[in-house]
Amino acid sequence: MDANLTMQSVRVKARFWDRVYPYISVTIPFLVIALFTIYPVLYAVRISFYQYILTKPKAHPFIGLKNFTEVISSYYFKTSLTNTAIYAFAAVVGVTIFGLAVGMLLNSKIRTANYLKIIILLPWAIPTVVAGLMWKWILNSDFGIFNGILYSLGLIESYIPFLADPTLAKISLVMAHIWKEGPLAAIFVLAGLQLIPDELYEAARIDGGGGWRIFRMITLPLLRPILLIIVIYETLTAILVFDLIYVLTGGGPGDSTSLISWFAYAEIFRNLNLGHGVALAIIIALITLMLILLYLRVIRSEESVA
Amino acid sequence: MGEKTKRNLRLLFANLAVLLLIVYIGGPFVWMAVASIQGENELLRRPQRIIPQNPTLDNYNYVFTGKVPQAYEVKGQLRSRISQEARLIAPALKNSFIVAISVMTINLILGTPAAYTFARLRFRGKRPGYNFILASRLMPAMAVAIPYYVIIQTLKLLDTYLALILVHLALTLPFTIWFLTLYISNIPREMEDAGLVDGCTPFQALTRIVVPMMAPGLVAGAAFAFMTSYNEFLFARFLTQSIASQTSPVIIASISGNPDASYTLISVCITLGLIPPLILAISMRKWLTEGLSASITFR
Repeated sequence: MDANLTMQSVRVKARFWDRVYPYISVTIPFLVIALFTIYPVLYAVRISFYQYILTKPKAHPFIGLKNFTEVISSYYFKTSLTNTAIYAFAAVVGVTIFGLAVGMLLNSKIRTANYLKIIILLPWAIPTVVAGLMWKWILNSDFGIFNGILYSLGLIESYIPFLADPTLAKISLVMAHIWKEGPLAAIFVLAGLQLIPDELYEAARIDGGGGWRIFRMITLPLLRPILLIIVIYETLTAILVFDLIYVLTGGGPGDSTSLISWFAYAEIFRNLNLGHGVALAIIIALITLMLILLYLRVIRSEESVA
Repeated sequence: MGEKTKRNLRLLFANLAVLLLIVYIGGPFVWMAVASIQGENELLRRPQRIIPQNPTLDNYNYVFTGKVPQAYEVKGQLRSRISQEARLIAPALKNSFIVAISVMTINLILGTPAAYTFARLRFRGKRPGYNFILASRLMPAMAVAIPYYVIIQTLKLLDTYLALILVHLALTLPFTIWFLTLYISNIPREMEDAGLVDGCTPFQALTRIVVPMMAPGLVAGAAFAFMTSYNEFLFARFLTQSIASQTSPVIIASISGNPDASYTLISVCITLGLIPPLILAISMRKWLTEGLSASITFR
C-alpha cells in the first residue's frame, strides 16, 4: 500500500517535471534574446518620432513623421539608395558567379583544387573590418602592393589612386566584398553539387550531352534552390554592409560609396541626429523585412515543386 | 584539334583558374605576414619587394616588449612612425579570447537544451517562440545600436566583458539554436525513444543519447559562435571605452586610423589578430564545411 503510494507520487512528480522541462530549457535564451529585441525595437520606434539631436540635449519635442519625411526628401537619401542598388546588384551578381564557378572547381577532380579547398574559408573566417583594412592597404595609392605588382609587370605607368576615384572606389569595394563573401557562396554551391547523383551526369553523357549542355540542363536547374538562397542572403548582406565601408572608403570619395547603412551611421554618430539615423534604420529594416518575406515565399514554392 | 588536346587545354585552363583563385584568396594574407617582418623603409619602396631582403622580427619584439626596432633609429625616423598604440594588440587579443570563449561556452550550455526542446518536445507556445527567436536577428544593427547602449549603461556594464558577452549572446544564440535544432531534427529518433521508454527524462535523453551523436554539429556550432563574437565590430566599438575591454577588431581599426602608426606595425597587429581565426578555420575545416553545408541542405 505504502509502496504503491510513493510510486504514484513519484510518477506524478515526473509528469510534472516533464511538462515544465520544455519551458525551463528555453527560458534563459529566450529572456536574453527578448531583452535585446523587444526593448530596443520599441525604443528605436519611439526615438524615430521625436527630434533627437545630441547637440541640443535639452529639447526632444515630438515631431510625428517629420524624421521620416526629412530623411526621405534629403539629397543623401536618393544618392545612398542609388549607390546601394548599384552596389547590391554588382555584389550579388559577383558573389553568385564567384560561388558557382569556385564551387564547381572545388567539386571537380582537378588536383590543384585541393589546395584551394584548404584556404577557401579563410576570408569568411576573419573580421570584416580587418579584411577591409587589408584591402585598403593593398590598394594604397602610394605604397600598395597591388600598384607595385601592376607597375613591376609594366601594366601601368604610374600608381593608381584606387580609393580616391569614385568609380574605382566602387569597384574596389565590390572586389573586397566578393573576396569576403564569395567563399561562403562557393561552399554552399559545393554542398548543392554534392547532392546531385553521379548517375544523372553519366546518363547525360551517354546521351551525348556536352559540358555546356550538361551544365544548363542538369547542374543549373538542380542548384536553383541553393542559388536562390545565395541571391537573397547576399542581397541582405549587401544592403546591410557597414564594416567594410567604415574602414575601406569611409563613404568616400565624396559620397560615391555612401550606402544606406553608412548614411544611417553617419546621421547617428557624425551628425549626432539620432532621430534621423534611427528613422533611416527603420526604413532599412522594412526593406530587409520585405526581402525576407519574399525569400520565405520563394523557399516555400521551391519546396512544393520538389 | 583532337579530343585529347581539347581536354588537355580545358584542364590547363581549369588549373590556371584555380591558381589565380589561390593567389586572390591567399595573397592578401601572405602579404600581411610578409609586410609585418619588413622594416618601414623597405616597405615604402616603390615598387616593394615581395620577398623581403632583411626579414626581421623587431616589429613583433616592439609590440610585445616595447623595444624600439633598430630600423627606425638608423634612418632618423625615431619615434615619428612608432605608435605606442600598437602595443595594445596583446591585451586586446586577450580580451577577444575571454569574450569569445565565454560566448561560445554559454552558447553550447544554453543553446543545446533549447534546440533539443524545439526539435523534439511538444509544448504550448513552441511555434511562436521559435519564430520569435529567429526573427530577432532581422533587426539591422544600426537601428538597435543606441538602445543597446542604453541597456548596457542602465545595467552599469559599460566597458566590461559582461556587456560584450551579453550582446554577443543575443546575436549568436538565435543562430546556434536554429542550427542545432536543424541538426537534431535530422538525427533518427529510435535511440532516444528506447531511452524514454526505459524511463529517461528528456534531459537525460539529451545528455546521454543525443549529445554524443551530435558532436560534429556541436563543434561547428561552437566554432560559429566563437567566430561571430571574435569578429564582431560595431557593438564592440561603442560598448567599450578602454583597453579594459576593447577587442582586437576595435584596436586594429583604431591603430590603422592613427596617422602616427607605421605600416609595419599595422601589419603586425593585423597578422596577430588574424592568427586565431585562421588557425580555427584551417584546423576545423571539415566541421565548418559540413556545418555550413548542413545549414543549407537540411530540411
